[in-house]
Amino acid sequence: MEPSTSPTSSSSSDLLSQYSIGEAFDEMLDANLQPREHYKPLYHRLQQTTANEFRRRKAMTDLSMRQDGVGFTVYQAEEGIERVWPMDPVPRIIPAQEWKLIARGLEQRLIALNEFLWDIYHEQRIIREKRIPPHLIIQGKNFRREFVGVNVPKRIYIHICGTDLIRAANGEYLVLEDNGRTPSGVSYMLTNRQVLKRVYPALFNDYEVLPNDDYPAALLEVLQYISPPTSDKPTVVLLSPGMYNSAYFEHSFLAQRMGIELVEGRDLLVDQNRVYMRTTRGRKRVDVIYRRIDDDFLDPLTFRSDSVLGVPGLVNSYRAGKVALANSIGTGIADDKGIYPFVPDIIRFYLGQEPILNNVETFRPEVPSHLSHILENIHKLVVKRVNESGGYGMLVGPASTKQQQEDFKAAIKANPRDFIAQPTIQLSVHPTFVENRLEGRHVDLRPFVLYGEKIVIVPGGLTRVALPKGSLVVNSSQGGGSKDTWVLAERSLAQTQSQMSQSQSQSQMSQSQGSSQAQIQRG
Amino acid sequence: MLSRVADALFWMSRYLERAEQVARSLDVTFHLELDLHGVTGSEEGEEWNYLFRSLNQTPPPAKLGESYSYTVLRWLTLDMSNQGSVMNCLNRSRNNARSIRDSISSEMWRSLNKLYWRLNDRDFQTQVTESLSEFCETVQNGTQLFHGVCDTTLTHDEGWHFIQLGRYLERAQHLLLVLKSQLDLSPVEDTGDTVFSNLHWAAVLKTCAAYDAYRRLYISRVDGERVLEFLLLNLDFPHSVRFCATTMMNSLTAISGELSYRSDNEALRHVGRLVNELTYLDNLEMSNAELKSLLSDCLNRCTLISRSMQKQYALH
Repeated sequence: MEPSTSPTSSSSSDLLSQYSIGEAFDEMLDANLQPREHYKPLYHRLQQTTANEFRRRKAMTDLSMRQDGVGFTVYQAEEGIERVWPMDPVPRIIPAQEWKLIARGLEQRLIALNEFLWDIYHEQRIIREKRIPPHLIIQGKNFRREFVGVNVPKRIYIHICGTDLIRAANGEYLVLEDNGRTPSGVSYMLTNRQVLKRVYPALFNDYEVLPNDDYPAALLEVLQYISPPTSDKPTVVLLSPGMYNSAYFEHSFLAQRMGIELVEGRDLLVDQNRVYMRTTRGRKRVDVIYRRIDDDFLDPLTFRSDSVLGVPGLVNSYRAGKVALANSIGTGIADDKGIYPFVPDIIRFYLGQEPILNNVETFRPEVPSHLSHILENIHKLVVKRVNESGGYGMLVGPASTKQQQEDFKAAIKANPRDFIAQPTIQLSVHPTFVENRLEGRHVDLRPFVLYGEKIVIVPGGLTRVALPKGSLVVNSSQGGGSKDTWVLAERSLAQTQSQMSQSQSQSQMSQSQGSSQAQIQRG
Repeated sequence: MLSRVADALFWMSRYLERAEQVARSLDVTFHLELDLHGVTGSEEGEEWNYLFRSLNQTPPPAKLGESYSYTVLRWLTLDMSNQGSVMNCLNRSRNNARSIRDSISSEMWRSLNKLYWRLNDRDFQTQVTESLSEFCETVQNGTQLFHGVCDTTLTHDEGWHFIQLGRYLERAQHLLLVLKSQLDLSPVEDTGDTVFSNLHWAAVLKTCAAYDAYRRLYISRVDGERVLEFLLLNLDFPHSVRFCATTMMNSLTAISGELSYRSDNEALRHVGRLVNELTYLDNLEMSNAELKSLLSDCLNRCTLISRSMQKQYALH
């Protein structure tokens, strides 16, 4: 069917007619179903759009993703199934002021986590001053005692961090978790923008959206910055487990956009502590490895000896400073869920500042008062195993059975260190195209923070959507979708600015005034 | 360039060329069958055997209650249990491309991927047996578009040359096999049934996308010896063995760069000898047996080229 491009009627469209508000924070609409200031132009456009027209746009995004081969692999039994990356054409919009706050909070957090990593792998001051119980670190699954005392290039541990943010019912941004190992998703952030521009260019007419396509260049600069001294331009490669990895699309996407070689373990070899790749003209020296392989699989000589993905001898070469790795080895202790409750204290301890972005309230079974609270209220809480990620090993209290709750209680009592518990937070919702109309679906936000000569945060991030009604699980392997995420230029809010109270958040934006990318010098 | 990447480029290109050949050969043979039915009125299956020999494949067993044409058609187009079906070749080509998609242009990947999804479309697949030509044309257009995109969006450096090598090595081998199996079917000495033989040699030309080019050059009826000469020795036609060999030589020379004069460049040596053989051949006035042995020698040479490349560039 050929859709009408400019419907004459501006009456409320069938897209939004049945939209309703729940208890969660709605990104677009306030409690009276009125659009928030920065969503007004989009809202009016959606009002004038028919469901048919919208369905056509949605079909175009799917086709575009499919033809570009944008997707991920889901493994069921042995067969890997290529799934097309699902994107919802309604963009999520973040006003400039909000973004500034987020960016400053993320910088602060990453600097503190980096200081923390340097400290626990060197002086362990934070342990000696009794700010964190030592066993949380020493027994942490991702603490690499092999790396105590090792100096990493430029003293940076986490070069690429993907931090998951959610919004509480009052709209406050909270940090749900940090991903300081091999965070993924940035290629989808970039692709969503490309595709939305192609299939729905009109949406961009009403806004000044900050571009995000500088990310690969910024990442390359970080990688070059940490290179060991070379006479020539450093050779940077991306180390991937190969095309059967679920994030392979991202690996090849980034390698291509940076113009660097994508290598697999079998392409590399270590000789005399130096790393080389096998080429058609013999060996070529490698200086920097952006590795998308977990610590455990990196080097069969140091970590798991059954790994065929890694490179024998790589860790020694790294230790000797002959090659740089991003991220560094052993960063997993910083995003350990057992450490997470301490991050606000970590910020205070190393930086002497109050956290700009708060954590989600977290209970630790090791603390007796917390334990009794958890056991009494387990049906209302989300309980997580500290060593699991990707939505596995979790108990969502309100959605669990009595038996599951009892099982978790027993497990918590047996191994309190292995668990944390948080109140069940209704993530904010965003209008999302479901079947034939827009409905609110829960979203989170993962911005990507780069740490090199300076900290760079490309405006935006990956917004993930839980597509099943009421679901709080946004992971793409579990049926999540995504949205293009817009950070607005400051001037595009000029009209709305005057309506806002001037004082609000003024104090928070003193630092990186006028710059769209938050940047600060390393402290 | 990483050896693994060179290898994947080479095979991506080989499998794509193979998919195109299977599609074109199938289309041509299918129509030849229809023609021959009018001329001879019998012997269903002979052309199919010829087809499978030229593709270096074993024919599928006939199925009860199903016409053999239909069986062959399914077998060569969509059947994933057949290593040599169009879908399988395309699938392998795409998998190779996917494993190195950062090393080819995104336009190349997109064009190959579009072809793949087009052929995987359920509606499209159900129509294969009714409109074979549409299927074959889609494959040929898709592969040629891919190479067009490749030529205009990829730097003509080492990687591009490995793509050329895969394509032209595969093509040379196919040409030689087509000619060889044709000599079995209608030997050059045989002056019997000219209608029959003409139809066959015309089919050979079509299989090699050479029908128009041949007629333009020779302005005469299709004649076995001339077809042979054209497809083997023509310097300028992209589907001639000599053209393929020359292209391979250029690419191998470009890849080896300053080392090209070295005598230890085995692949280059073999290509060079193939080129010389075809360039300085006295003439093609030979017996059928002699011709067949010439073609066999050339085929062996191709195998040697492939093998020495694997050794030299650490391909798998």
